[in-house]
Amino acid sequence: MARAFSIRRQRGFTAIAITCFFALYLPIAVLVFYSFNAGESLASFDGISLRWFTKAFQNQQVIDASIRSLQIASVAAVVATIAATMAALATTRTEPYRGLTLKYAFINQPLMIPEIVTAVALLIFFARIKIWTGYSGLGYLIAAHTAFCIPFAYLPIRARLENMDLTLEKAAADLYATPWNAFRYVTLPLLWPGILAGFMLAFVISLDDVVITEFVKSAGQDTLPTYMLGQIRRSITPEMNAISTLFLLLSICVVTVFFIVNRKRV
Amino acid sequence: MAELNAVEIRQVSKIFGFGEFAFAAVDNTSVSIRQNEFFTLLGPSGCGKTTLLRLIAGFEYPTSGEILLNGEDIAAMPPFKRPINTVFQSYALFPHMTVAENIGFGLMMLGKPKREINERVDAMLKLVRMEALAGRRTSQISGGQQQRVALARALAPQPKVLLLDEPLSALDYKLRKDMQIELKRLQAETGITFIFVTHDQEEALTMSDRIAVMSSGKILQVGNPREIYDAPADRFVADFIGETNFLKGRIGSVANGIADVDTPVAGRISATVPQDFHAEGEVTVVLRPEHATLCPPDRADASQMTGTLENVVYFGTDTHYHVRLSDGETLFTLREQNKPLQVARFAAGDRVGIALEANAARVLRN
Repeated sequence: MARAFSIRRQRGFTAIAITCFFALYLPIAVLVFYSFNAGESLASFDGISLRWFTKAFQNQQVIDASIRSLQIASVAAVVATIAATMAALATTRTEPYRGLTLKYAFINQPLMIPEIVTAVALLIFFARIKIWTGYSGLGYLIAAHTAFCIPFAYLPIRARLENMDLTLEKAAADLYATPWNAFRYVTLPLLWPGILAGFMLAFVISLDDVVITEFVKSAGQDTLPTYMLGQIRRSITPEMNAISTLFLLLSICVVTVFFIVNRKRV
Repeated sequence: MAELNAVEIRQVSKIFGFGEFAFAAVDNTSVSIRQNEFFTLLGPSGCGKTTLLRLIAGFEYPTSGEILLNGEDIAAMPPFKRPINTVFQSYALFPHMTVAENIGFGLMMLGKPKREINERVDAMLKLVRMEALAGRRTSQISGGQQQRVALARALAPQPKVLLLDEPLSALDYKLRKDMQIELKRLQAETGITFIFVTHDQEEALTMSDRIAVMSSGKILQVGNPREIYDAPADRFVADFIGETNFLKGRIGSVANGIADVDTPVAGRISATVPQDFHAEGEVTVVLRPEHATLCPPDRADASQMTGTLENVVYFGTDTHYHVRLSDGETLFTLREQNKPLQVARFAAGDRVGIALEANAARVLRN
């Protein structure tokens, strides 16, 4: 039977798609599966059990690292989102002008710089500040995470603003709204889904970071990913599978919440 | 004491860019707009009409000159302080608000009490006949309805002047015709001065009390629709408003405002001369297409010009004929109203004569 014309139908597309999905999800599926393994071995499956989850929940180091991760991610994501919102407003709520592209590039540059370079730079920079101030708390990690989260938060906010008619704020001003009121009653309510998306992205990126955290953290400041890295260096236990599964679950939750909230406000 | 003009533009210029890239969107322009007038700024795109409107609204500040609202200079006042509201070309309705919230927005920003806002919104909904849709989102109503909401929103705070930036251009033909009548009714009912921007000369002629024709940042002519159409000030206005034929000629004797003009293609034509205009030598004569009719080429009594009919364009209400005159260069356009069950008298390629109505021709200033 003849099919209607569609560029989606090309020889080999389906095969490539299936291969990609397997490469992406099969390892994760195996990991999740083995996290329910009753036995000690990573190679053989000895029945279903939640023992590794129980073990992970009883491990004080895991709990501490998780709380630390969430603290850093929350503060960094909030601050990064505020900064990114202001940057996005400054770069989009205007007619295009010379040098605007340069500004975009400048704001997004952290995405281009190799993470290891930023990590080494921050290590040296913060080491000097630590000597001067004597402070060695979580502030360094929060500052570092905020910095690399800004471009991630910026992208969806800018995308949302670019689709928003510039005339809307003019109409508000025409109807006696001061610049603050125009922002409060027109721009902000329309921008809200973008801000939320930016926040979620920043939050997940911060939660996931290993390289910069590994370099910047002081002793006893392990986040969940750096703790896991440290453990795996010594020996791989099924407990790591359980922690990874929980971590995955958290990510899925964050994305789902975002999806639901975003769908309500069109 | 004479009544104050609603809006007075005094030697206003707006220059964009610097140095060699400087460009005057509005070029040392002055115009007065009277109270309760339906005033239209008409011109092709890029003529400066929208810039002039934005200067009045406050979205741009003039490089030089004064803008007076009821005698008060508002040139440096920000838009949210001016008692002037705008209907935008894209409507710019707030998509996260209902129809009623949109209409009440201006009053809310002015800090009016809730009760007054509700009463006013109800009155506005009634005025634009949208009562049934008060609770709808603006994305759930049609283009024509959005247009009405935009109007109601701009009228709700009872501005001194309402600015309309090509508000009908997004509507289809039928809806546009309805809205033209609707706009005239609203203007009469509210008594607010309307300043309307359009590039559509038909829209300008049908709706306006007075029209200002703009080109290259300058106002070329201000007058009522009949003056603009019948007595265009110059070649640009004559060409922009309606279709026009231009014939070159040499002016002869002038008596009682009527001149004899000798044209190479049409012989001697009697043409009206604008008041206090002393024409000599070479002049241009304008002829509207509807003031000429086709006739057989051999009828010397009626025909003033002959030529070859190049094409016939049927418009429903009337038919347009393009005739290549005997000099082989000039293309003359004429328009005849269609009659019931009319049979085409001439076909493309025919030799035809052109008869002119009395007083049809007019001498153009320069």
